[in-house]
Amino acid sequence: MKEFNAICIIDDDPITVFGIKKMLSIVTKCDNIITYYNGKLAIDGLREIVNNNEDIPDIIFLDINMPIMDGWQFLEEFIAIPMKKKIRINIVTSSIDPLDIKKAEMYKSMSHHTVVFNNKPITRSVIEEITNAA
Amino acid sequence: MISTQNYLIKQLPKATVFINTKFEVIHVSDKWINYFDYSNIDLIGKNIFELFDSVSKEWHQVIEDCLLGKSSDSGIEMHFDSEGKKKWFEWVNIPWYDEYENIIGVIVQTEDITKKVLTELRFNKMEALLTEKLEIAKIGNWEYDAITDTLIWSKMTKMIHEVPMDYVPDVETAINFYKEGYDRNVLSMAMFNASNHGTSWKNKLQLITAKGKTVWVIAAGKPIFTDGKYTGLIGTFQDITEQVQTEIKTIERKNLLRALIDNLPLNVYIKDLESKKILVNKAEIEFSGFEKEEDLIGKDDFDFLDESSAKMCREEDVSVMKSLKPLLDKEDVIIRKDGKSSTFLTSKIPLIEEGGNVTGLIGFSLDISNLKQKEEELRNLINVTSLQNKKLIDFAHIISHNLRSHTANFSMLLEFLVNEKKEKEKKKIISMLVKASDNLLETLGNLNDVITINTNTTLKKKSIRMNDKIDIVNTKLKTLLKNNKAKIKNKVSNNDYITAVPSYLESILMNFITNAVKYKHADRDPIITLSLTKNNDYSILSIADNGIGIDLKKYGDKLFGMYKTFHNNADAKGIGLYITKNQIEAMSGKIITSSEVGKGTIFNIYFNERI
Repeated sequence: MKEFNAICIIDDDPITVFGIKKMLSIVTKCDNIITYYNGKLAIDGLREIVNNNEDIPDIIFLDINMPIMDGWQFLEEFIAIPMKKKIRINIVTSSIDPLDIKKAEMYKSMSHHTVVFNNKPITRSVIEEITNAA
Repeated sequence: MISTQNYLIKQLPKATVFINTKFEVIHVSDKWINYFDYSNIDLIGKNIFELFDSVSKEWHQVIEDCLLGKSSDSGIEMHFDSEGKKKWFEWVNIPWYDEYENIIGVIVQTEDITKKVLTELRFNKMEALLTEKLEIAKIGNWEYDAITDTLIWSKMTKMIHEVPMDYVPDVETAINFYKEGYDRNVLSMAMFNASNHGTSWKNKLQLITAKGKTVWVIAAGKPIFTDGKYTGLIGTFQDITEQVQTEIKTIERKNLLRALIDNLPLNVYIKDLESKKILVNKAEIEFSGFEKEEDLIGKDDFDFLDESSAKMCREEDVSVMKSLKPLLDKEDVIIRKDGKSSTFLTSKIPLIEEGGNVTGLIGFSLDISNLKQKEEELRNLINVTSLQNKKLIDFAHIISHNLRSHTANFSMLLEFLVNEKKEKEKKKIISMLVKASDNLLETLGNLNDVITINTNTTLKKKSIRMNDKIDIVNTKLKTLLKNNKAKIKNKVSNNDYITAVPSYLESILMNFITNAVKYKHADRDPIITLSLTKNNDYSILSIADNGIGIDLKKYGDKLFGMYKTFHNNADAKGIGLYITKNQIEAMSGKIITSSEVGKGTIFNIYFNERI
């Protein structure tokens, strides 16, 4: 079982958060799973973590459609935070809009982080793949 | 004796020569010698015929006949003088008798008639010329002798009447050639006045020829008085049918051209160098607010257009006349003095005379105001359509996204449930499944609401007292307001009514007030201020809060559709504002939002009072 210092889940749907957490508990060992219910809370929280030199998450699960600040706006601000660490950002969305897939590609090319587009429902094997790659 | 005789003959006042039976000159007068310029030659004994280059057979014969005792008429002979000029003389021959009545010769008298002949020739020439001229001009003449009551027509007059050359006219038949009615009456009166009052006439009349052809003539005539007594009439007669027909054709052509430009669905005008109008068609006259062409001629655009429009027109004119380049299909908005605005598609073409100088311009302006209006309507329609299209796409995404997210949750939770061994965990998963199912139901309910708003156009708008609705919402949200220590400051007067669908108005108030409470600022208790203003078309309800505010630059476009989510969690507000927006738009209204981060948000909701 792979171990991680921190994993972050950003999603406004508690069922999805529950699901991802549950699958992570099966395939990884991580005592620090941070969850945010929208992009605004996430960017504020992550900025603080970076500023305080705490453990920056190795993996981020990111929903797109959220209130106040959506996934794209979060990404825009997050890739602007200067950091050396390469983070694996997994977009998890129920959107099948081709425009959203293109957008994900765009952000990937703009940053040194890995940006991967995943559709809901996310399965155990996908979680395994993600964690193994990270 | 002979010398005395000779001397007498020498002095005869006429050029005279006496010849014997052998045609030899016996005596000759000085006049004769002078006339024929024989002063250097002794003529006596010379054969008379040898003195002339040629002698006509006629004269020769006459002289021979004379010797036989026949006296004769005179004759004319032509010869060339010493300078080679043509000369004519008239001769008279008589037999010369001796005292025994024997013919001993011929006395020839000649008279120089060169001048007379030349005059006559010139006269003949002129007469011929005149006849020719009259024929070319188709002018005939006539003469009426009142005393003998005879009328004489010239050849051309007969030709104009298409009668044979041997035709003999009289006054009555002549008058009857004129077209019955006006023409005949005019001529009869003219002739009557001429004979009785001595007046002359000249009239353009129609007559019908012997062959039935109608011709136009100028008939002119005047009376002749001899010793103060009326003796007849003379006159001329000119066929002007061709001219009249050409004239008629010219007029017809002019009329056709005029009819053409008048009936063109275009304003047509010709302007001079100073942009003064020198020709305008009906459409231009009407547009300029005049009735007759004369009213507009000589005026310029400043006389009936708004100052700025007139200025623009003048600038166009000057540019066309200066550059000599036509202005084609320019779209101009023209405002008249009375404020009426029209859109024209205008072309202006410089008028250049033969020398290359510009004399003005010809302009064509097509009124495309209706077209423009249609275009505007079409554009509006396209805007509405594309807006609706966008709404439809949004809606499709919402449906797709939401249904997908619920099914994703079901499938995930069910997979957990199948693999779960712990009873406690199984129960937790089942309770989540129940929640997912509730969410789905609610989503479907919300979707149904949206569809209803957009398809239910039968809901009638009513005049509603604003405060009645505010009271109802206040009561319904009592708990929420109390728990959040929220206050509603109602500045709406009890007399304020708006036109809206009652259920929509309630829902709109609920959503905005709930929203204001949800996004309250952490440092202060929420205060929501309601006020109402009116303008011509709208009642404007203003809902202002002192909450956290929103950065409209960043999120403005997503405010009313941004979350694409109907999740029933504490922070979700997407569906509320989305439905609100749909309700307002369904009532032909709009929302204008202003906000300052950290200070609060104002929603101005426009209720359409017109539609």
